[in-house]
Amino acid sequence: MTEQNNADSFGSSGPILEIRDVTHRFGEVVAVDNISIQAQQGEFLTILGESGSGKTTLLRVISGLETPSTLGALRIAGEDVSNTPASDRNCTTVFQHYALFPHMAVGENVAYGLKVRGVPLGEREERSRDALELVRLGDKYDRRVHQLSGGERQRVALARALVTRPAILLLDEPLGALDEKLRLDMQVELLELHSKLGMTFVYITHSQEEALTMSDRVILMRQGQIVQEGPPRDLFDRPASRFVADFMGVENLLNGVVLESNGEITTVRMGEHTVKGRWSGKTTPVPDQPICVCVRAERVKFAEGSGDEPNRISCKPGATIYKGKYLDQTLETDVGMVNARIWDGDFSLDTVSHVWWHENDCVIVPSDKSSESVN
Amino acid sequence: MNNIQEIEGPRGLKGWYTNMMSAGWVVPTFVATWICIVVIPLVIMVYFSFLDVRYYEVYYDEPSFKIWWSIIESGRWMAVTRTLRITATLTIIQLLIAFPFALWLAKGCQSKGVKASIITLLTIPFFLDASSRIIVWRPILGTNGVINTVLMDLGIINQPMEWMLFSEFAVHFGMLAPYFPTMVFPIFLVLTLIDDEYIQASRDLGASPGQTLFHVILPLSLPGIVAGVVFTMVPLMAAFVEPGMLGGGFVNVLGDSIEAALRNLKYPTAAAMSTLVMILLALLLVVLVVISRRRGALGNIFQTMKR
Repeated sequence: MTEQNNADSFGSSGPILEIRDVTHRFGEVVAVDNISIQAQQGEFLTILGESGSGKTTLLRVISGLETPSTLGALRIAGEDVSNTPASDRNCTTVFQHYALFPHMAVGENVAYGLKVRGVPLGEREERSRDALELVRLGDKYDRRVHQLSGGERQRVALARALVTRPAILLLDEPLGALDEKLRLDMQVELLELHSKLGMTFVYITHSQEEALTMSDRVILMRQGQIVQEGPPRDLFDRPASRFVADFMGVENLLNGVVLESNGEITTVRMGEHTVKGRWSGKTTPVPDQPICVCVRAERVKFAEGSGDEPNRISCKPGATIYKGKYLDQTLETDVGMVNARIWDGDFSLDTVSHVWWHENDCVIVPSDKSSESVN
Repeated sequence: MNNIQEIEGPRGLKGWYTNMMSAGWVVPTFVATWICIVVIPLVIMVYFSFLDVRYYEVYYDEPSFKIWWSIIESGRWMAVTRTLRITATLTIIQLLIAFPFALWLAKGCQSKGVKASIITLLTIPFFLDASSRIIVWRPILGTNGVINTVLMDLGIINQPMEWMLFSEFAVHFGMLAPYFPTMVFPIFLVLTLIDDEYIQASRDLGASPGQTLFHVILPLSLPGIVAGVVFTMVPLMAAFVEPGMLGGGFVNVLGDSIEAALRNLKYPTAAAMSTLVMILLALLLVVLVVISRRRGALGNIFQTMKR
């Protein structure tokens, strides 16, 4: 009921979060370079990027902990907050290292936001207990912070940020410090919390896997700029550049040049081979343009002898790496190393002479020079 | 066949270090040394206060409360209350100045150079002997001193301000700077240990700067405040150089009285007065320990800072 307040009071008109033309410099370094983003009420928006991409700075600009160098506009729930101090903004942050006050018990930590707003003691305690209940820590109200495990601290930090019912919850790599198993559990829990509360989540992460599983929309940042944004499926299946493909975990990135294209299906040349795939760049391909052929390892198929499979390239088996659920197989071809995934443990490579893939499983993007020099 | 080997600890300097850190002899050695050089002399001192002096000679035969009575009768106990009052006032003044200063130094001051210079400047009072530092105030604060002369020449005052020297004001003033670093350093240290993220989290959760100060910074810096108060208050209780030189005999404090008694070879009197100082300090420490108990033992004074 109360959780719906935010949704009702602001209606569906306009975005809950709107940032226009924000730039932030640390001395000479441009951390955030003229970025504009929006988030809709109830959206789970993920800002993805490697460390140093400016994603945390962007979050701190939203929360007010960082004052940007230049700012076009910053609105939270329709209200201009460009000059509002962090304490008066209708959003709270879950910090990467939780930042739970060590001198307060769990309950006091959660109640802090209510205490500084002058909420009377009784109501404060009741609401804090509710918030702890929400993150399934109802019985830990009187515990000391240092008695909690990492996952529990994480949830206390969540409860503390949620208890004041902010319009936007900002999460700064909240699962970064947790171990693998716990991280997967917390992903599910965060998603449940998000759908239960209907609150807008802005989630910072460097993990493409977290971004894919949790978000409604992903913004991929690099060197302070947005390189691609869209639903997770878009970024995963239709990367717009070599950098995005690489970041989203495409194992095979092979260089070539454009032969011809109808805008969608594009034929490219790699060495002596001709390969067809789907164009995914932002610009229209032109002949002789240097490109990158992106194929996921699990889409690479094997062939023996002669055949008429598309995108056939002769190969020699290389190293095999055991990964538990599957085997990672490298194959040497005359266009470079190709990675394939073998799900059947008994599979024999002895007769394999070619690799191939469907043209629908092959994405062709412009090869951005800057990313090549980085890699 | 026998593959089980005796595991030997690391040898050499590293081994010595490891052994020292784990050995059981550290505590007994410390206790024994401390008893020999600190506790036994104290006990002897307390014993001395029950002895008597006749014609500059100490008589060991019949211990009595004679000296203790004489302290009360002679009005020397007035020095006790005065000392307590001056110590308390100065400690409070120091704390009120030192906390904001330390807060600025730890969290506000952005320039590393400025910070380093200030820390260096703060150690200056430790360089010089107290009397040479204090004596310069006499020609400044005195009736014919710099301040009075300048103010009279300018026509701001007609008569020299006599309260500036040989007064309680002068004593307070003179003790401000020498005992300031001992208050600032522990507080500064503990404030630097407070992670900025706590302060940011407090702001983020809606706290005003004042609320952040009272709910987050102050409680977290309490160990440093307690340490600063102890390190400042204890030497203030025993101070005699500043009160002697700037009080001009008008501001009699315990340290003064002990000095005077020693100079007159009245050892039992000096011993009794010193015992009194000790008792007062012990009481104050008990109070502080009780206060800090609420926040955990003194032993893990900085524990709260750890994540």
